[in-house]
Amino acid sequence: MKKYWRAYLISLQETLQRRSSLVMDRLGGIAVMLSLYYFWKTLLLGRTSFLGYSYSQMLTYVLGMNILRSFALTGRGWELVGEISSGKISSYLVRPLSYHGYALALDLSQKTVHLFAAFFEIGALLIFFHPPFYWPKSILSLFLFAGALLTASLLFFFLEFIVSSLAFWTSESGGPLFFFELFIQFAAGAFFPLDVLPRFLQKVLSLSPFPYLVFLPINIYLGRVGEGRAFQDLLISFVWTAVFGATSVYVWRKGLLSYSAEGG
Amino acid sequence: MNAISVNSLQKEYQVFNRKPGLWGSLGSVFWREWNKVKAVDSISFQIGEGELVGFLGANGAGKTTTLKILSGLLTPTSGQVEVLGFKPWRREREFQKRISLVMGQRTQLWWEIPAQETFRLNQAVYGLSDKQYQESLGELVEMLELKDYLAVPVKKLSLGQRMRAELAAALLHRPKILLLDEPTLGLDVVMQKKVREFILEYNKKWRASILLTSHNMDDLTALCPRVLILEKGKLIYDGNLESLIRRYAENKIIKIVFEGDVSASKIAALGGTFDSQKTTMLVSVPRADVSKKAAFLLSSFPVADLTIEEPSVDEIVRKIFSKT
Repeated sequence: MKKYWRAYLISLQETLQRRSSLVMDRLGGIAVMLSLYYFWKTLLLGRTSFLGYSYSQMLTYVLGMNILRSFALTGRGWELVGEISSGKISSYLVRPLSYHGYALALDLSQKTVHLFAAFFEIGALLIFFHPPFYWPKSILSLFLFAGALLTASLLFFFLEFIVSSLAFWTSESGGPLFFFELFIQFAAGAFFPLDVLPRFLQKVLSLSPFPYLVFLPINIYLGRVGEGRAFQDLLISFVWTAVFGATSVYVWRKGLLSYSAEGG
Repeated sequence: MNAISVNSLQKEYQVFNRKPGLWGSLGSVFWREWNKVKAVDSISFQIGEGELVGFLGANGAGKTTTLKILSGLLTPTSGQVEVLGFKPWRREREFQKRISLVMGQRTQLWWEIPAQETFRLNQAVYGLSDKQYQESLGELVEMLELKDYLAVPVKKLSLGQRMRAELAAALLHRPKILLLDEPTLGLDVVMQKKVREFILEYNKKWRASILLTSHNMDDLTALCPRVLILEKGKLIYDGNLESLIRRYAENKIIKIVFEGDVSASKIAALGGTFDSQKTTMLVSVPRADVSKKAAFLLSSFPVADLTIEEPSVDEIVRKIFSKT
């Protein structure tokens, strides 16, 4: 375990060292958050609720998206693609190290930095704009939200790992990763709550793992999902995570086989 | 027991034929013709404990492929390979703790932060106790003269400093087998010498077996009593370096820089060629006549500088290949 903890720390240092990329990244996130904030604020003008969301719930959804985007939807997909296609993964493969564990440690360190930044940004927004903010009714739903957040970030890690691993077979795996990043924001509810979509699309998405990334965690926080139902959702989310975790290990092994057959 | 033992090793790659033009590219989306390329063709060799061996060959001869197989990155198509009694491609932890692969053009150092952070990471990766780590690090820092650079971000280091830090990161766990791919590539002469001295010292001190590829003749003459030469995947020479040089490098190269203008006709009579900058003249002279020729040049021409060099490895290799 110690090696992965070291990897976490070293990556934390490097992320903090790259201040300008971090700031740019955060500015992009803030722009998305602010535009969605004003969009919903205008839309809800003169209404008390919309699609079953109260005014404060909807604005909290937007702020919550910033947390989820920062913790669950950030990853090292592009780095992984680069390391596979440039052959840099060789330097990990010759060392006594599990690449999965190593990548997860690096991923978590990035998420840590982004999560802190997101809290800071939301804090600033609360102080300067005084939006109506929804506080959960019970401690339990806060815990359930924390659980859903952690599971979501693991689930995203595995999904992104699978898509990035395509780099083992094609030099053009940037394409699928780009599509994946955009699609997942839509399908997870990171642009708008999924209730906005037509019923049948909602139905289709509910059968997929994507809503467990953003939409469901926030809905648990907002108390729009009963606690019993929240437990059930959390369980399904675990199952999805396990399924994609196993798939990512399988794909990685296959990829390594092809890598060691073809060279890199 | 041999540290490395390779028998009838073969490695084939599949490469697809690219067709020219837009239609060819479009066509390749739907169907591809695959070709088999033999990167390593039935080679066998043994390397003993503490041996230092040079690997020679033109680009694409199969050197790096062989190093990758020995380090466990590639699976052989057929043949037997054993390194310290392990099958490398199984990538067992115990095996990985006893080898190291350094590729001159690739770095394992973290770019934005000081090299000592990568060292600490490797301490954890290889499971070294604090005592082992401090001992090993202290020794490497001294041998590689790294003391002043430990706290400097890697991106701010010169190429030579970075290469030395790279070696330190790769050797903290004191591997018994060291595979080096072009360790002196891009380094200046002083730095090359330092790196060579270090490799020799490490080899002597820990009786590590070292296999290195290089295009630099000085690397090989200074380090490797024995060389292996690969051509198109086949092992065409395995033996003493000196006898190889005697056999194939019959000539040495005299390099002359003239002082002021020398008449073109006189120069033409020497039978040499000018380098691309037109400042230095190169004359190829049989080994036995070198001193006589040098004396003649110095007495009959206004010479600003004169050096006598071995022909480059590439040249010798070219010669060997043209005779096989």
